Amino acid sequence: MLSRWLAALALLGFATHAALAHGPTRQKVVEKVTIDAPADAVWAQIKDFDALAKWHPAVEASPADKGNAEGSVRKLKLKGGGALTETLERYNADGKSYGYRAADGGALPVTNYTSTITVSADGAKSVVEWRGAFYRGFPNNDPPADQNDEAAVKAVTGVYQAGLANLKKLVEKK
Amino acid sequence: MTRLPLPIVAAMAFLAAPPAAAAPTAWITNQGGHSVSVVDLGTNRVSATLPVGKSPAGVVAVPKAGKVFVTTPDDNAVSVIDMTTRRVLAALPAGGGAVGIDASPDGRRVYVADWYGRQLLGFDTASHAEVLRVPLGQAPAGVAVAGDGRHVFVAERDDNRVAVVDAAAARVVARVAVGEHPFALLHDAPRRRLYALNVYSNDVSAIDVSAPAAPRVVGTVRVGKAPYGAALAAGGTRLYVTNQRDDSVTVIDPDTLASVQTLSGFGYPEGIASVGDRVWVVNWMDENLVELEAATGKRLRSVTLGSNPRGFGAFIGDPAP
Repeated sequence: MLSRWLAALALLGFATHAALAHGPTRQKVVEKVTIDAPADAVWAQIKDFDALAKWHPAVEASPADKGNAEGSVRKLKLKGGGALTETLERYNADGKSYGYRAADGGALPVTNYTSTITVSADGAKSVVEWRGAFYRGFPNNDPPADQNDEAAVKAVTGVYQAGLANLKKLVEKK
Repeated sequence: MTRLPLPIVAAMAFLAAPPAAAAPTAWITNQGGHSVSVVDLGTNRVSATLPVGKSPAGVVAVPKAGKVFVTTPDDNAVSVIDMTTRRVLAALPAGGGAVGIDASPDGRRVYVADWYGRQLLGFDTASHAEVLRVPLGQAPAGVAVAGDGRHVFVAERDDNRVAVVDAAAARVVARVAVGEHPFALLHDAPRRRLYALNVYSNDVSAIDVSAPAAPRVVGTVRVGKAPYGAALAAGGTRLYVTNQRDDSVTVIDPDTLASVQTLSGFGYPEGIASVGDRVWVVNWMDENLVELEAATGKRLRSVTLGSNPRGFGAFIGDPAP
């Protein structure tokens, strides 16, 4: 008798749950760093789509098949394992900026991920802004902790902060 | 009939008049802030921030009802705001994930696309009663009501088509194939036309809806990546379209369906609306509202909004006198 009740409740619970199902909402990360160097010098370091491995400490290799042409695909190999495939969507040499889109299923717990990095002059210094828009890795309701909104934001924040800190170090050392 | 003394007549006229030179008001949904920023567009200031339901996205200001309706997909509801008191009056249950919303021209009804419930819902703007429920295809997103107030267009995003609902008959009476993943819709009443913004194919389908039950695509305009919001401006001579993933806005001549200008420097632009000679663009990434001159696209000023603002819909309106 009791088990029937439980089953009925579970069914009810399931039904309620389904009726309340909702999707994830888009998240973002914006990170900036000020570098004590002219914007041209900073841009020179990062301007090539395939140069990520030369300045991001977590990236082992980042070959791109069509250089800085829109549609160029770079295959990131991360130190310690993991991979990401990213396609160049926008390249603006005059504006010192490029934007790309990552294929789902890469090493980050995100989906529908797009990102833009931009160098701006700030007097004799420069500011690098790296920003991304994405959804969490888990597409449905009640995501596991490692695929929820917080996990997605934390992972992308970590990538940007580590990259920008190292870029600052590399450029200011020159 | 005795004549009233002049000062009293003058006082009555003053009382009866709408708020002097009422500046337009914008009601912007902040999806990350679970709130609505109320912006006085005359002074370019946020005059209030109203907490609403969870993750507000869609919005329609309905002057004739004196209310603003906001979809809150994360608690499956529609928040109703009184324009005058700026208080939330109600939260209406709205299926499994309300997204797009639009009002009938007479202001008596709002129609809501239910993304997960795959249906169109209709609500009476006075009583707040649900008055319509029509099953739809996959991922209903944007909504636009025809000039006749009877036909309602809904983008069935994952079916790459637009459904035409006859609200009186409570059923879909026609469907028209558009580009890939149509999300937002905009109705152009003078041209009896509908625009569908196709997020994947990066273009806008122009659909002749002079016979609403026989919609016909009459043109396609290439825009930037991921078009999200559209507004007619400059007396209907310009169609502004925000391109989320290009951080740009495309300006189109609706008569020739040619792109005449691309404006840059936005931050993941989404919602867009126009009044008079101005256009306002909601930037999701930059969390601000940017004011443009409609005729030229010139950037004039901006104001800071809440977290992750969307403003998906007709977000400008003040109580009708």
